[in-house]
Amino acid sequence: MTKMTVDWQRVDEVIARWAPKGRAGLLPCLEEVQEITGWLSPEVSRRVAAGLKVPLADVFGVITFYSLLYERPVGRVIVRVCDDVSCFVNGSQEVVQACRTYLGIEPGETTPDGMFTLETHPCLGRCERAPFLMVNDEEYGPVRGEDVPRILDAWKERVRSE
Amino acid sequence: MAEPVLLRRVGHVDPTRLEDYLAWGGFEALRRALLRRPESIVDEVKASGLVGRGGAAFPTGVKWEAVARESRTPKYVVCNADESEPGTFKDRVLMEGDPFVLVEAMAIAGHAVGAEEGYIYVRGEYTRAYERIKNAVEEATRAGFLGDHILDSDVSFHVHVYRGAGAYVCGEETALFESIEGKRGQPRQKPPFPTTHGLFGRPTVINNVETLANIPPIVLHGPEWFRSLGPEDAPGPKLYSVSGAVNAPGVYEAPMSVTLRELIEEYAGGVRNGGRVQAVLVGGAAGTFLGPKELDVPMSFSGLRKVGAALGSGAVMVIDEQVDMWEVLLRLARFFAHESCGKCYPCQLGTQRQLEIVRRMASGRIRYQDILRLRDIQATMADASICGLGQTAGNAILSGLRVMGLDVS
Repeated sequence: MTKMTVDWQRVDEVIARWAPKGRAGLLPCLEEVQEITGWLSPEVSRRVAAGLKVPLADVFGVITFYSLLYERPVGRVIVRVCDDVSCFVNGSQEVVQACRTYLGIEPGETTPDGMFTLETHPCLGRCERAPFLMVNDEEYGPVRGEDVPRILDAWKERVRSE
Repeated sequence: MAEPVLLRRVGHVDPTRLEDYLAWGGFEALRRALLRRPESIVDEVKASGLVGRGGAAFPTGVKWEAVARESRTPKYVVCNADESEPGTFKDRVLMEGDPFVLVEAMAIAGHAVGAEEGYIYVRGEYTRAYERIKNAVEEATRAGFLGDHILDSDVSFHVHVYRGAGAYVCGEETALFESIEGKRGQPRQKPPFPTTHGLFGRPTVINNVETLANIPPIVLHGPEWFRSLGPEDAPGPKLYSVSGAVNAPGVYEAPMSVTLRELIEEYAGGVRNGGRVQAVLVGGAAGTFLGPKELDVPMSFSGLRKVGAALGSGAVMVIDEQVDMWEVLLRLARFFAHESCGKCYPCQLGTQRQLEIVRRMASGRIRYQDILRLRDIQATMADASICGLGQTAGNAILSGLRVMGLDVS
């Protein structure tokens, strides 16, 4: 993992915007901050806690409760394979397997270059497109295992060109 | 199949354009509602017989009336758009395809119960739905359908759009309030109920997306029309999310007299590859498995109750004979163990023990006492958990074992 440099200016702007809401601004604030920082480090969390005047312990409590908030570094690209009932019935195992093979990691892990995190996910609510795959905010489905290398190749290109 | 009510605009309008919504009769119901006394709107919703479409099937008008009678202000209207029940995607289809209807319905609700602020809490993974809803709120505000003095009336209503962050339990209404308030999304003990102590401890109406989508049509066409759309004990249209081993998975609108067989064979194009139904999970992970001999059940609250199931969110997940049911049950057990919030012990411990037993059974090591133990866990969770998550966490497992012929009572 390369050392993270935080764009504090943008983070502080987000915090300042939600500060008037106090605690009721905590969840949206954390969501927006994470869009900038990728994950919510203790340093970032302290900044949010101070800005919104919420105890730091409570900020950690919220971060650890929600699966879309990350208290550990994750890849720039998050690959979520739905593995719930309808996707399983339609062959999600093949998609999970293809992702493991392509990325060389297990669900829950991040590639050593910090580019990809792989997750198997409970129902993503796109059951009419099962088996369904979500890469960051992009939606793919129905997908087959053989589609996975092409989809993730494109994401590699996209991240490198950014 | 009759002209749809809830899906009427979905796929036919550009959901990002207010002009399209207006051209299709949008905001006409709000216009009319603003000319009427709040009580008459509440009465009409009560008379329509509309009950909540999120899973609990509570009469919507009764909820509204309770909040309307509260003298404490501020009050809130909250839209539960945290659709996370596995196999359920109807609210997503509505939000992506017809987002303005929610905005209109919430403004009507605000006028009816005397609330000036509303919150829409959209599931975190529903990125597109969130963007569409946010856009709809901004456009409606710009055009004067939201904000101060809506359409030059003395009614004001503002809407905030929140995004969830990945927690199934936040679909439980009080957990959702906690989440908006910036806390861990753990359910509260009830009573007190949201109608007196809801968001920020204030009187709150909380309705599901599909429930709200019924409001503008009720205001426009009246309760008698609404009642004529379904069987006597289940008025109005219903959305069903049909998925799994079917040829045409999707969201279908039907009266609640529709049978499970009709939904699978006529609406969703039948079982794939000409195969046969092994089991159908009705109502999502919190729901109940039915077997191939139970397909003629009407998909209404009372119809399903007769076979020991519940309509819940209207999810229909079809499992054909090619699928290993143990793998399905294992996923459901894992789901509840993962999503249990940990606040109350029956659920926190019960979902873990349930997973351990199902995992062992799935690996072929089945013990004589397993079924009895699972029944005991299910009964304990149903009786003693503080929210619906734990109360229903054993249903799918036990009913699945029954369909497999393992739990013979």
